[in-house]
Amino acid sequence: MTPKERFLKRLSGQEADMTPVGCTTAYGVVELMRKCGYERPLADTDPVAMAQLALAGHAVAGFDWIKAMGWDITSVSQALGCSLGEPAIDLQYCIASHPFEQGVDDLECPGDLLSRGRFPAYKEQFRILREVAGNSAVIFGMSEGPFTCAANLVGTTKLLRATMKEPKLVKKTLEVTAEALIKVVNFAFSNGADYFCMADPTSGCDLLNPKAWATFVAPAVKRIVENVSGPVVLHICGNTDKIIPMMCETGIAGISIEEKVDLKQALEAAHSRGVRVFGNVSAKSTLFIGTPEDCYKEAWAALEAGVDFLAPGCGLAPNSPLENILQLRRARDEFFRTA
Amino acid sequence: MPSIEESLKRLHDAVVAFDEDGTVLAAQDYLDEGHEALEGIMRGLAAGMNTVGQLFKSQEYYVPEVLLCAEAMQAGLRVLTPHLRAGQSESRGKIVLGTIQGDVHDIGKNLVKLMLEIAGFTVYDLGVNVAHQTFVDEAARTGADVVGISAMMTTTMMGMKKVIQILREARPEVRILIGGAPVTAEIVKMFKADGYAQSAADVVDAVERVLARETA
Repeated sequence: MTPKERFLKRLSGQEADMTPVGCTTAYGVVELMRKCGYERPLADTDPVAMAQLALAGHAVAGFDWIKAMGWDITSVSQALGCSLGEPAIDLQYCIASHPFEQGVDDLECPGDLLSRGRFPAYKEQFRILREVAGNSAVIFGMSEGPFTCAANLVGTTKLLRATMKEPKLVKKTLEVTAEALIKVVNFAFSNGADYFCMADPTSGCDLLNPKAWATFVAPAVKRIVENVSGPVVLHICGNTDKIIPMMCETGIAGISIEEKVDLKQALEAAHSRGVRVFGNVSAKSTLFIGTPEDCYKEAWAALEAGVDFLAPGCGLAPNSPLENILQLRRARDEFFRTA
Repeated sequence: MPSIEESLKRLHDAVVAFDEDGTVLAAQDYLDEGHEALEGIMRGLAAGMNTVGQLFKSQEYYVPEVLLCAEAMQAGLRVLTPHLRAGQSESRGKIVLGTIQGDVHDIGKNLVKLMLEIAGFTVYDLGVNVAHQTFVDEAARTGADVVGISAMMTTTMMGMKKVIQILREARPEVRILIGGAPVTAEIVKMFKADGYAQSAADVVDAVERVLARETA
């Protein structure tokens, strides 16, 4: 079974010979950049550098699948008008302005969205990835989700406050971000992505009331999923216990969760709804600052608990040691050798 | 006339119910009844905000509710503060606060600022995406007792370690607290900070702890 067959079978709920291992979030790791010779920030905008770093995840870090579309979750917000801060080798792009802080009357999804910002570079990156690895490994696209994008456009505090005081503003903004995401996700599929991961951290329970998630975020995610031509995985950081059942009822194919989640409960909630689970080795206390033994143990525990895809629980910190990351693959291979 | 305890409870409850108009009315009635502004602030409004902090911690309230409660409390403060007597608004200490370079998350930091200000600390807020050296410069300029650094992402939190290194060299007397979603007790140890608060509800305790250690 090739890594691609294994991944696609598992994602559609069929038997696979073993659990795929990889990363469904960003893996812009400095040591990986040094190994392959293609560093950020060049690898944020240059399609060749971006593709080579993405492939290094597969070839060097042992990931079964490959990430397209850069190393951060700002691309849709940028194309809708946010300016970005200066990146560095160990610093991702961040949102530097909220262009619709004063009002969303003029906010609309532009017709030329996909020729803005980094999308032309992503298109070329997809072409390279398809050519090199498209037959053997799954390629996925990724961006921010609808609520995070909305928060970038109007400001997080304003958007959160509006969930209680100005629901119309929230709905209007989410209509536009969902429309933009439908275009972006379909762009990824038409350029060769096998699945798409939306990261919507701002909608997590650290910030937003689960009731507001049901009112605002769930319909936006549903609309996106219903209007795109391939499977979508939803990543939300933090403890998402209270929203996982709702996440799983939006029509998504998978959820990506971190270590703060009750894994057993999440697996039950997801599997009973036909949804697969990616996770949940801690990107911070384990893969970043833990020992290789810690990483191996936590990966093993996730496999034993029955995650469908062994992956970090969140984006990898740029200075995570490669030796730690390699333990994911090692644990997976040995787990299935002894099984 | 209601008892002072009833009037204080009215202030507290209006903040918790994020009822801005209700808080303003309660504050005006409280003054009209002849009570001390300071007590109304501390045992009414601030006590209400502490309850909000607890509700936030237990996930009964989320950030939107806390933001509205804070607005109600601030509206109440605008009524009561002008009636403080001289010397009553003395600061308990100076705190420089900011979100690390490359990180633009400010909700947690703003909640921390709010809780510290209610507790009587003077806060110098540097905002978000703050350059490492700016923390050091501002600590020197203000004579800060504590510097608080926030990072929301695993990808940006390494910057906190750098700030701690240069701050220790330049101002060894300053206590350093770090905070944000990726911060754990291990990170505090690894970065050699003096402490952290798990949520905005715990930050006043954390500041009091590090300041006590300094003078002990």
